[in-house]
Amino acid sequence: MSLIHIKDLTKHFKILNRREGLSGAFRDLFSGNYRTVEAVAGVSFDIEAGEIVGYIGPNGAGKSTTIKMMTGILKPTGGMLQVNGLMPYDNRIRQAQIMGVVFGQRTQLWWDLPVIESFKILKEIYKVDQKMFDRHMDMFNELVGLKALYSQQVRTLSLGQRMLCDISASFLHNPQVVFLDEPTIGLDISIKAKIRSVIKELNREHNTTIILTTHDLGDVEALCQRIIIIDKGKILYDGDIKRVNALFGAYRTLKLQIDDFTAATLQTLTGKLTEKFGAEHGISIAETEELWTDVTIDQARTPLSDVLNFVMSNFGVDDVRIVEISMENVVRKVYDGALK
Amino acid sequence: MKSYLAVLRGSFMVGLVYRFGFLFSIAGNIIYMSITYFLWRSIYQNRETLRGLTFDQTYIYVALGSAVFILLKTYVDWQMSYEIREGTVATYLTKPIDLQFYELFMSLGFFLMSLGAITIPTILLLVFVFRIEIPLGLGLAIFPFSLILAYLLSFCFDYFIGLLCFYTESVWGLSITKEILVTVLSGALIPLPFFPDVIHKILLWLPFQAIYYTPLTMVAQPNLGWGTFLPMLAVQLFWVIALFTLTRLFYNQAIKVLRISGG
Ligand SMILES: Nc1ncnc2c1ncn2[C@@H]1O[C@H](COP(=O)(O)OP(=O)(O)OP(=O)(O)O)[C@@H](O)[C@H]1O
Ligand SMILES: [Mg+2]
Repeated sequence: MSLIHIKDLTKHFKILNRREGLSGAFRDLFSGNYRTVEAVAGVSFDIEAGEIVGYIGPNGAGKSTTIKMMTGILKPTGGMLQVNGLMPYDNRIRQAQIMGVVFGQRTQLWWDLPVIESFKILKEIYKVDQKMFDRHMDMFNELVGLKALYSQQVRTLSLGQRMLCDISASFLHNPQVVFLDEPTIGLDISIKAKIRSVIKELNREHNTTIILTTHDLGDVEALCQRIIIIDKGKILYDGDIKRVNALFGAYRTLKLQIDDFTAATLQTLTGKLTEKFGAEHGISIAETEELWTDVTIDQARTPLSDVLNFVMSNFGVDDVRIVEISMENVVRKVYDGALK
Repeated sequence: MKSYLAVLRGSFMVGLVYRFGFLFSIAGNIIYMSITYFLWRSIYQNRETLRGLTFDQTYIYVALGSAVFILLKTYVDWQMSYEIREGTVATYLTKPIDLQFYELFMSLGFFLMSLGAITIPTILLLVFVFRIEIPLGLGLAIFPFSLILAYLLSFCFDYFIGLLCFYTESVWGLSITKEILVTVLSGALIPLPFFPDVIHKILLWLPFQAIYYTPLTMVAQPNLGWGTFLPMLAVQLFWVIALFTLTRLFYNQAIKVLRISGG
């Protein structure tokens, strides 16, 4: 039997339609004008012990809501949900013992106390014996250099340090499954890489099942064999990452800051690129933010380096960035039938 | 149990982190006690007693009354409303702990802080600086027990309001209303005998009086004897058990509507 079994899971929220302004806020006091949001609209999947699964999708897709149900803090509206054979919500305290959770936006550590104190408190809460505690603390020290942070107050940690501590803390009691809801949010590339390697190590150490949500496809590529894509509360794709990899792996966006940018520049650029690479070039161009022009390139058709060289030699370019395709674009492409 | 003691230890340490707050509250209390001391001294002037109370008796009631008032404030309702709005309650609910005990032991850390920063210094100041003679007697000996029961009662009220935040998500109106009710109906503002007879009788049947009136009576009139104190303690204990149980039952309902914010 699988470690996590989910069938037709739903979660509906009833929310008040709030009106604008102060007078609206007053009228809302007596309003009964509700609407229902289907945050999770019938989701099914099974996860086996030891897997690292990437649970991805655009903002508001229903990822965090699913995680909250799996961790037993939100009651499902309908459907079937079992972790290790039990319904998490109905067995909250018992289930908590076999789970670890990190909500990237908030910390489980004691904000005002030195890092080590939180670990000591968690040791008692999870009834971790001294031997296991010492062994795990040594391991965390090897992985993230935790000892150097022991005496530092949590609120003085950098975001990346705090996240490393939080992730370590969620593994302290050797849980069977760890939920990581956006563990890399707001971090720079180097600390992201660190976090990925730590997660991988921790998974390997005890064959811990990990379910991870993220907006960074790099996280998923580095960690997961399997991904589940969710949008508007429904699953779009569940399976091997390789197929999807081929999809978003091929696209890169070249962000350019062009000298003396005017409305005509976009057209000139489009014209010249078509002239150079032909009509089937797989390149799309858009002005996204002020002064930045996005050139999205399908590398299967045109190598990014060729486009970059061409642009650099024909236009005055102030600044260049290369970014991976965004989650929204991946989802759009899946909708468009890219995986069929 | 060990896990909750670790929580208690943690919240006590948090209190110590803010050592300036700690020192300020000690200083503030000394100032308050000095002002009230000279105020009441001038009111008494050359008189031995006012309304049958000596200066010492009145001053004990005033000084200790305010110390107890501060001590019995748990702030659990404000704390919980914050945790619910910020969504931090999620990090507690994903741990193998009972929310009621977790909140209780969190607040006990601060209870110990204000015991050390306010209550004990107040008693020391009363005895050694202001040279007040605290009447000794049975009441004084059982006062600490009564105070603990009173704290647990106060906690139950605040925890109940905290649970109501599961529904309302904001604590403002609720907490203010509770504060007023408790302050008035518990005899913290006006001693109960000053209420009209009927109301006085009704109030004695309600849990509010067991918070302030009971422990303060034990210090103010310590010689009333077991015959009076035992029923008082029994009533306190009854309400603690009753409200603890009721709030536990209510938790089972409230948790169903809790929406964990954020994410
Ligand atoms: N407590 C709540 N009350 C009402 N609606 C909610 C609540 N929590 C979530 N929602 C709604 O449910 C939907 C899914 O939210 P959820 O937090 O699960 O998204 P998500 O996939 O985690 O998105 P993100 O990537 O932005 O974190 C959203 O439309 C959100 O507005
Ligand atoms: Mg989310």
